[in-house]
This record gives sequence, C-alpha cells and structure tokens, in this order.
Amino acid sequence: MVTGATTPIGRRLVERLLADPGTTLVLAVGAEPDPLPLAVRDPERYRYRQVDLTRPRELHDLLFSDGRQLQIETVVHNALHRRAHDEGPRIHALNVECTRDLLSLAERHPTVSRFVFRSASAVYRLDPRGSTLLSEDDPLELSPSAPQKVRDRVEADLTVCTRMGMSPLQIVVLRCAEILAADVGSQLWDYLGSKVCLRPTGFDPMLNLLSLEDAARALQLAVGGPERGVFNVPGRDVLPLSRAIELWGRVEIPLPGPLLAPLYRLRARAIGSDFRYDLNFRRFHFSAVLDGRRAQRELGYEPLHRIVWPYSQSSGSHS
Amino acid sequence: MSLARRLGKSLSKLLLDPRQHAALSSLAFRDAGHGFDVLGFDPEAFGVALGVTRFAYERYFRVTSHGAERLPRSGAAILAANHSGLLPIDGAMIVVDVARQTSPPRVARVIGDVFIPMMPWVGTTFSRIGVVAGSAGNFRHLLESGELVLVFPEGAPGIGKGFRRRYQLQSWRVGHAELALRYRVPVIPVAVIGAEEAWPEIGRLDSFHAFGAPFLPIPATPLPLPVRLHVHYGEPLVLHERFRDADDPGTVRDAARVVKHAVDALIAQGLSQRQGLW
Repeated sequence: MVTGATTPIGRRLVERLLADPGTTLVLAVGAEPDPLPLAVRDPERYRYRQVDLTRPRELHDLLFSDGRQLQIETVVHNALHRRAHDEGPRIHALNVECTRDLLSLAERHPTVSRFVFRSASAVYRLDPRGSTLLSEDDPLELSPSAPQKVRDRVEADLTVCTRMGMSPLQIVVLRCAEILAADVGSQLWDYLGSKVCLRPTGFDPMLNLLSLEDAARALQLAVGGPERGVFNVPGRDVLPLSRAIELWGRVEIPLPGPLLAPLYRLRARAIGSDFRYDLNFRRFHFSAVLDGRRAQRELGYEPLHRIVWPYSQSSGSHS
Repeated sequence: MSLARRLGKSLSKLLLDPRQHAALSSLAFRDAGHGFDVLGFDPEAFGVALGVTRFAYERYFRVTSHGAERLPRSGAAILAANHSGLLPIDGAMIVVDVARQTSPPRVARVIGDVFIPMMPWVGTTFSRIGVVAGSAGNFRHLLESGELVLVFPEGAPGIGKGFRRRYQLQSWRVGHAELALRYRVPVIPVAVIGAEEAWPEIGRLDSFHAFGAPFLPIPATPLPLPVRLHVHYGEPLVLHERFRDADDPGTVRDAARVVKHAVDALIAQGLSQRQGLW
C-alpha cells in the first residue's frame, strides 16, 4: 500500500513497483480521484482508493477493509503536506497524527509486516560546529522556534523511530535529501523558479539534491528488502548553492542576510510563492550533505540519477 | 562555466609556473559530481590559492622544507603541527609546501576551528581550498577517504600564545591521537620555525566574540614580518602499534603526549639548525 500515490514520488514508486514482476498487487492511496492510467495497463495488480488520511475512521477502514481483503504486506507512508506556508492543526494531522495512526493500525493488522516511512533531510539540525556530512546519528532539529513544517517532519520521524524494536513490524525510515522537482514540496524548486535568486552574501553552502527517480528507487529497495532502521538517502548532485543557481540559468544576487527574510516574505505575499527564507536560513549558510553509506551497505542504494539541470555544466548554454 | 571560475582558471595559470600548474591536473581529489568534493573543496580555487601564495612562499617567507620525503604519497595520515601567528600563516605555508613537495600533489586538509564556517567569505573561501570545520564527523570522513589531514592540537590558544611564549606548546588536544588509533593511520609531527616570530601580538580583546571567534588578537605590526620559515616533517609515528584502546582516555592522552613530545623535539631541532631569523 502506498500513501501519497498521486504525488510525483508516489506515482513514480507505484510505476516502479508495477514494473517489478515480484509485486503481487499495489494499493495506491491518494487524496484526489485516481489520476493514474495504471489501472488500465494493469487492472489485476493495481487498485486505487481515494482517502482523506486525516480522518482516523477512513484510515482504519482502508486498512481493515481493503487492506485486509487484499492482504497487503507493506505500507509505504509517503503522504506529507507539501506547502511550507500552510500551518495549523489540519496540516499537523496529516503530517504527524496520520503517521501515528497508520503505524498503530499497521501494528495490529493481520497481514502487514513492514512499514516504510519517507522522511526528509530537513529533520537534521544544521550546526556549523557539527559535521558537514550528516549521518543518521546526527542531531535532529528540535528547536521550538523552527517552522511547523520542520517540527512536523521531526515529530513524524521520531514517532516512527520510537517504535523501532518494540513494534512487531519491520520499520524503515528513509531520510531523503531534498528532491528537486515540481509538486514535491521542494523549497529549492520554488526558489529557483524566480529569475533572480537572492542569497546571503559571504555564504555559499554545499547542497545535496535528490532526483525523483532515485527517491522512488530508494523506496522500492526499502519495500523489497528485510533490512530495518533509519537510512539517509542522498542524491547524486552535491554542489554549492551558487552553482545550483547558475545551472538553473538564474541570476544570483548576494545580499546581506537580514534583508532576505523580508524580501522573500514580500515575494510570497505578492505572487503566492512557497519559498520561505526562515525555513532555509541555516541551509543557506551552512553546508550539509547526507552520508548515505548505511543505505548503500544495507539497502544497496546508491544515487544514480542526476538532476536534469536546464543549463549545461561546461558551456553555460541552454542544453 | 561561471565568470568567477573562468577568472580563477586564468589566474592560477598566470600566477603559477607552468610545471606547478600542470601538476595541478593530477591533484588527488574526490569529485562529488560538479567539480567539488562533498565538503566543498574546489581544485580550481586551490590552484588560485597556490598562485596567490606563491610570492609569500617563495619571496616573502622564503620557506624551506625539511624531511618532506616522509609525507606519504597516498593514503590517510595526520600531520600534527605547532601553531602560532594571529592569522594562520603557518597553516597556509604547510599546505603550499605539502602540495609542492608531493607528486602527484596532495592537499593537506586543514582542520580549522568550529567558528570558521560562521564567518562570511572566510568560511566559504576556506572550505573551497580544503579547510574543514573541526568536528569529529568531518575529521572521520577525511580519514576514511584516505586524505592527508593537518591539525593544530594547540587550537586557538596556539594562535594567541604571544611572543614571550613562542615555541612553547600550549594545551594539547587529544582528538587527533584518538582518531589515529581508531583508524590506524600514522601521525607525522610537523614543526614550523619562524612563524612564531612573524607576527607578534601585543594584546588581545578577550571580549570580542563576533562569529564565534574566541578573541581578537592585536598585532604589533600591520603586516607579518618577513622572517624565514622552515617546515620540518618528522618520522611518522605509528601510534596504533604502541597503543591499542582508542576508547581508553588514559591511552589516548598518552598517545597524544607522544605526538606532543615529537613536535617539541622537532621544534628544538629546527631552532638549533636555524641560522638567523631573516
């Protein structure tokens, strides 16, 4: 069963799972009507259910009606709210309460034995005194002043992690690097959407970006293997912020840091963009790259696919 | 390619002699995909740094190198050196010397203080030329990647030790010894002679902590004095053959003490061999 199946990552994962002859059946779950043409292609192995995951009753019925009937074995929880400006109890319900409920239901489900949760690198606390290469044991962002998007991510991650070793389920948490793609909640995607990118003067941190294809592949590997635990999922692209701006064909303007938050707030109000400087403040100052050795060793995951950058590396011309 | 990178390429070609510039193409470096390593090192920027410091190395400080054949051609190792001089002139000259004395050239990855990444421009520039913030995670990563790591176990107190305490090693941190035991890598003692007289400090503002700096040193001269610098490399210390338990605090302290004594002995040897300051 895959939640968030209508998101680009969910869709890609469902496609990959259906392409694998070892997959008996995929129960795709989304908030919208089924946009996938997969049912037509493979009606025997694909089912779609439109469910509001923030409603505990709907969630319960999904698992103990369809889920039981279809004898689902693995739950991939991939549904997280994407817009950074949206806050409040309903967002929290989707990000955290739903994760808690889903995990608890899966634990008492008769056929589910594996739970895979897609977390994010945003859960890590970026500290200039810490390591640039973040391992799974590095500190999490537990600051009460962190924006809700980050606090929710951390709480959901910890909710799942605290059940490891106590749950009858095999639990896997994948902390994915930022996926640079549309409609996945990528802050950088929105940031690079502007023709002029402002960045804090004097700072040019290293970023690690993940492609959709690699994110889906990591989830697929986590579904298939017996391994359990927390795994970082780094991307193939490791580069400074200025280089990312350049490869995206944007103009960068370094400005004193204190000016950036109000300017980006203004931009968000004017055109409804999603980028929040306060959410990215530390990331735009201090380097952070995920250490993916554990995922490589245990899941066999290695990033293979680069981001398709609109401007080629060598010439600077449009490719 | 950005204008800055194009400028950098031309600048390093202009400033370095052709042999040095050609050697840069064989620089040992783990490209993470976009011309940088995961910690932000950029070989182009390193080439520029070598070019920019050429005058200082050859003409101003007239650096001479002793025992460079002890530098390993490949594999992880730790260089442990004495520290001094307000700005890390000693670190810069060791890095240049290592790059010049090894073939193919190696980059000594300097473990800097943890406040460096918080300083605008300085943090970014340092990371591009191979300096990393002094966290255990970064140090471990460099050793696991087979890098040559340069540490100053005296830390910031070494920089601010003052002229009267020159060549007296200050409190000696032990992290490098623990990691040398854990990763079974040799420690090469390094003594820099001359740097401790190059830029005397007349005082310091202990209340200055901008960007996390421990203090603001006040130099006696606006520029460092053009004293001759001598970089001495000692015999590699294979600590893991003498000491076993990297988790035992006493063992680690003893291992660090061996390194400190070796650096001290090298300083004494360097001072006795030196023929004048200038």
